[in-house]
Amino acid sequence: MLSKFKSWEGFLFGVLVLILIANSSLSPEFLTLSNQINLFQLSVEKIIVSLIMTFIIINGEIDLSVGSMMGLAACAFGWMVDQGTPAALACIIVLLIGCAGGALNGYFIARVGLPSLVVTLATLIGFRGLARVLVEDRGITDFPDWFDALGQQGLIGPIPLALILFLLLFLFLYVVLQKTGFGRKTYVIGTNKAVADFAGIDTARHKQILFMASGLIAALAGLLYAARVGAVRGDVAFGFELDIITIVLLGGVSIFGGSGTLVGTFLAILIVLSLRNGMALLNITGHIQTGVIGILLVASVVAPRFNLKAILAHAGTPEKKETS
Amino acid sequence: MAETILELLDISKSFEMTHALKNMSLELKAGEVHAIVGENGAGKSTMIKIMTGVHKPTSGEIRIDGQARTLSGTQAAREAGIAAMYQEPMVFPDLDVAENIFISARNKGLFLKPTQQRQAARALVTRLGMSLDVELAASGLTLAEQQIVEIARALSEDVRVLIMDEPTASLSAYEASQLRRIAKTLAQEGVAVVYISHRLEEIFEIADRVTVIRDGGHISTRPISETTADLMIAEMVGRDVGNYFAKIPGTATDTVALKVRNLAVDDVFEGVNFDLHKGEVLCFSGLVGARRTDVALALFGVKPATRGTIEVNGTAVEIRHPKQAMDIGIAYVSEDRRKLGLAMPMSIQSNTSLATLGKFLRRFGLLDRAEERNVAEAFRKRLNIRTPNVDIAVGTLSGGNQQKVMLAKWLNMEPEILIFDEPTRGIDVGAKAEVHELIREFAKAGGAALVISSDLPEVMALGDRNLVMREGRQMGVIASENATQEKIMALATGQQNLREAS
Repeated sequence: MLSKFKSWEGFLFGVLVLILIANSSLSPEFLTLSNQINLFQLSVEKIIVSLIMTFIIINGEIDLSVGSMMGLAACAFGWMVDQGTPAALACIIVLLIGCAGGALNGYFIARVGLPSLVVTLATLIGFRGLARVLVEDRGITDFPDWFDALGQQGLIGPIPLALILFLLLFLFLYVVLQKTGFGRKTYVIGTNKAVADFAGIDTARHKQILFMASGLIAALAGLLYAARVGAVRGDVAFGFELDIITIVLLGGVSIFGGSGTLVGTFLAILIVLSLRNGMALLNITGHIQTGVIGILLVASVVAPRFNLKAILAHAGTPEKKETS
Repeated sequence: MAETILELLDISKSFEMTHALKNMSLELKAGEVHAIVGENGAGKSTMIKIMTGVHKPTSGEIRIDGQARTLSGTQAAREAGIAAMYQEPMVFPDLDVAENIFISARNKGLFLKPTQQRQAARALVTRLGMSLDVELAASGLTLAEQQIVEIARALSEDVRVLIMDEPTASLSAYEASQLRRIAKTLAQEGVAVVYISHRLEEIFEIADRVTVIRDGGHISTRPISETTADLMIAEMVGRDVGNYFAKIPGTATDTVALKVRNLAVDDVFEGVNFDLHKGEVLCFSGLVGARRTDVALALFGVKPATRGTIEVNGTAVEIRHPKQAMDIGIAYVSEDRRKLGLAMPMSIQSNTSLATLGKFLRRFGLLDRAEERNVAEAFRKRLNIRTPNVDIAVGTLSGGNQQKVMLAKWLNMEPEILIFDEPTRGIDVGAKAEVHELIREFAKAGGAALVISSDLPEVMALGDRNLVMREGRQMGVIASENATQEKIMALATGQQNLREAS
């Protein structure tokens, strides 16, 4: 099973190399550190959330509410600062809001047993509504200097806080997914929840934890967005969930759950970012860029099916198969 | 008697390696109720599927009105007037009764105006001697009423052969008697009714002729007046017990591992009582629908018992989740490997540790993969799982090897009480013997094994005692020295009622 994804990751890597070569030939600036940082910086909030989304989708679920949670987090922060709350305290409260929102999703999905598509669609609307109620149609901009600086300046050399957080989170979640019992359970539950239930695994608790983590990380991403842009409005991070899910699926994570890796997601992130950057260098408009990403996504969903056929054709030749 | 409508001549059907039907013959006449009886797995459902065009026979001939015909699919069978009705009727819950009856484009009723359609539906229902509001949505119908809808649908398509597959299995006594009356009515109208049932008493009530099948072959066809329940059971069981597995001497001790009293799940089963001893293999026998698996699910906490008591090693316990059951040493090897037992795309290694991940967790929740691998490798050798290594996805293994991986998964828990649900279903004879040996080994080492099996030779070979269930009730417990397949079958079909005969 995973041999399929191994080859998929190999394919992604090949695509990435091609894009990198094309981009560097288009512009000598492309491979410079500052361009690369800049490139990451523009989408850093989405790619942070795509890491936890990888877990959620491998687990056989989906979280559509992450974009709205990012918006709610940014707006709640803006509103509190506007009301005179110290920014540091506001940050902590926002992270708690993220946990609570995720716990709400988790409760209805894991304990009540509703489909995550429905529950998180409802909270997508609900969280966004709350965000708009908080800031109405204003923009809030007067954040403390240290907060803006965290979002806009390098923390270690030229590397900003958000990018460091992304890398740390990637390493941490990679270890969790591939090396721990929790990671193994994520795959087992996504492969077949009934099998997990019958093996005494507390699947409800597992899903509850994942959705809380998703809410927390989305709230963190919302804060990072507020810091980077230095302003919040009611439509912050509007529609981000689709870009995030696109990256994860492009990375080879099965929408039916049970398979995929964070390495795949990471490669998909690099591809999407470099592709957009390259097309921007060619003066291709944003809409066409989006179209190209869409075609890539369709290919990523269709390709494994053809791949599977190829595997079936070779059935009988023992392949080294690995599952997590 | 009347003319022959449908004939099966020397029909054989094989699926890859297994022969589901071997030279099966059957003759159906207009106006008769023709009962077919046989054990689980005797080939009844394959035969139905041949008659309804779902499967094509590997060899043999189907004759309709004396003419050889090939049924190219279910549509062709329907056009020839052959319809089947299953335990779970096919109705569309959001359509009303009349719309459900005229759902098929084959009967012109689909193109009638709603009022005409309802009228025609009413006429059909009345013809069956029933009263049913044809404007009711099907979702509000009882199971029995849904079956009537299905029969009316078949009637509207001018059915000539109606196959009823255990139609009364889930009905109340009154509903069942109504349904039997309908079957009789249809036969009087000239339909050939094929009636498949495990309830021998109802066969004597309505059947004109009875065909016994066993191991995919035809055993006998007799007018009902020339047969008896004992004869039918003997013919159903038939084969020589010694053929398959030799009886293994028991290792039961006097220590009770599991004591179950008056266990019940409301509306599912009730009054289950037994003691399971250490070192013992207790078999649960019964037909499909006897609710044996539900007892296992109650003991494993999947669908907890609503009444009764469970004691493990002398301590009263309440089991509400599989985790609780596992904590007190109960493991359950499910009959459904694909849906409930194994994570098919995952490796043997991952599946072996599935129920016991906690044993492999180290600091910070890290998984000790080296240890996990050692354990999986050890089980691979001990259980003789035929595969080069433990990295292979279990989905690619044979049924027997998958069953062994399931065993590995639960044996690693070192359970005191192991419940096996149909441990050898769908695996070949060689692997069966190996699985039996493993179960025996488990008992010999002091474990208490509860084996649910529909395979009578298996029950005879394995069980120290046999608990027989029928339709959610415990019919009796027979010690192996007194057990015969005929006795078990008589209890399972409700021909005999004995309590604690051991």
